[in-house]
Amino acid sequence: MKIGNVDVKVSIVAVAVFVFFTIFLLYASMYSPEVRSQLIWMIPALFMLLVIPMALNYMSRSQYNNLEPIYEAEAKTVRIKLINESMVGKPVRIQGVVERVYFQFLNRPQYLVADRSGEISVKMFTSTNEDIKVNDVVEVLGQVIKRYVVTGDPVVNCISIKKIDKS
Amino acid sequence: MAENQREDPNPPTQTDNSMNRWLELAVPGFSFGGIIIAFLLLNQGYLLSFHIASAGCIIASILLAYLAWIRPKKDIVALTTPIYAVILFVLPSDLVPDLILPILYAVSITILLVRLKYRFGKPGTAVTMGKELGGSLKTYIDQTREPLKNLSPETAHYATLAFVQFAQGDYAKVARISETVTGSDNNPVRDQCVARAFIIVKEHAALLDKALPRPDSYLVFNPEYADLLAKQMPPIEDKDHAFYLALDNALLLLYSAAWNGLERDRPHLLPRQPFAQKLMSSE
Repeated sequence: MKIGNVDVKVSIVAVAVFVFFTIFLLYASMYSPEVRSQLIWMIPALFMLLVIPMALNYMSRSQYNNLEPIYEAEAKTVRIKLINESMVGKPVRIQGVVERVYFQFLNRPQYLVADRSGEISVKMFTSTNEDIKVNDVVEVLGQVIKRYVVTGDPVVNCISIKKIDKS
Repeated sequence: MAENQREDPNPPTQTDNSMNRWLELAVPGFSFGGIIIAFLLLNQGYLLSFHIASAGCIIASILLAYLAWIRPKKDIVALTTPIYAVILFVLPSDLVPDLILPILYAVSITILLVRLKYRFGKPGTAVTMGKELGGSLKTYIDQTREPLKNLSPETAHYATLAFVQFAQGDYAKVARISETVTGSDNNPVRDQCVARAFIIVKEHAALLDKALPRPDSYLVFNPEYADLLAKQMPPIEDKDHAFYLALDNALLLLYSAAWNGLERDRPHLLPRQPFAQKLMSSE
């Protein structure tokens, strides 16, 4: 669903929770008059299960869209091998092939991106603008962070990931 | 596409290996051992059995977390097992204190131990904490100590600056530092190979700063310096490979020059050791 320039996506988990509680509420209201009398607030609450994740996704996506031009201007293009712990906090641009995709269904996708020099995890804390699959050639803009905030290997906190044509 | 072939920067010693093996055996040993003792005591009519099984699981969780901590690649699940052990076995709860929970817990942490062993690599040693040099980097630095012994402390300090700034991604600064070292007629670098390393690093830093691609002609080391370089050029000529290999060799030579030339700069070089190790072990 598009709101303004932002393509809002709801994760499959949020949809599953909504469906589960809808079925549960329907079943309960059929058998219990007490539940029926409470439907006036239960139905809006049920929809909030969808509206809140959508609102959060809209807010994070629009923030990321605002950050993208800043990163476009500031990020240095580097080979993956050159990314190291001393670069934590630096904006970087990398190009490579997506080798693995994780947690796309949670709207918190994580990619393993590789170039000829090495590979690195690319974490995104919101949904992507386009659907990224294994073997796509991509350009990633993001900031170098430690995997577990204060410790762990360097990974890229992704602001934008786009498919590029390298043919 | 990527060569995922990383040398362990800090191979554990024989003693470390032996201790780690004992610690790995101790995880199921303590968790299941506690349960077995609890069973035996239960048969004798002692009521302390649940606490003994719980204590075994808590100790096993702490050992598992330690084994996860000493690996360069951290497993957050194994690292947090002591927290779960405390929640399940120490904090008051409505759970009936029987042996089902310790048994399930012991099975779980044993599975986590197997996962840790096979998915999170081998344990490292103190080098991970940045206390000393290790692996092939140490060997290379030891090998180049003698040829670099006449390097001036000033050059060694510039080498530290160039390497540290390069690791931090401040490429414009690296280009300026290298220019300072090599640009003037009275440059302080007596060693021609180190001077070449500065020039190569300057070329790459300038290109990286402006996000420019590899030029058609670029600087490499002369074959006469082959003995001083960390990585040798393979027989198959690949222009990209030769270009990036020259940078790896130049950076590693600067690291060695800095390390061997000026002891007081070593605290600045140690935190960048993982980057140097990465350059060393990459293709």
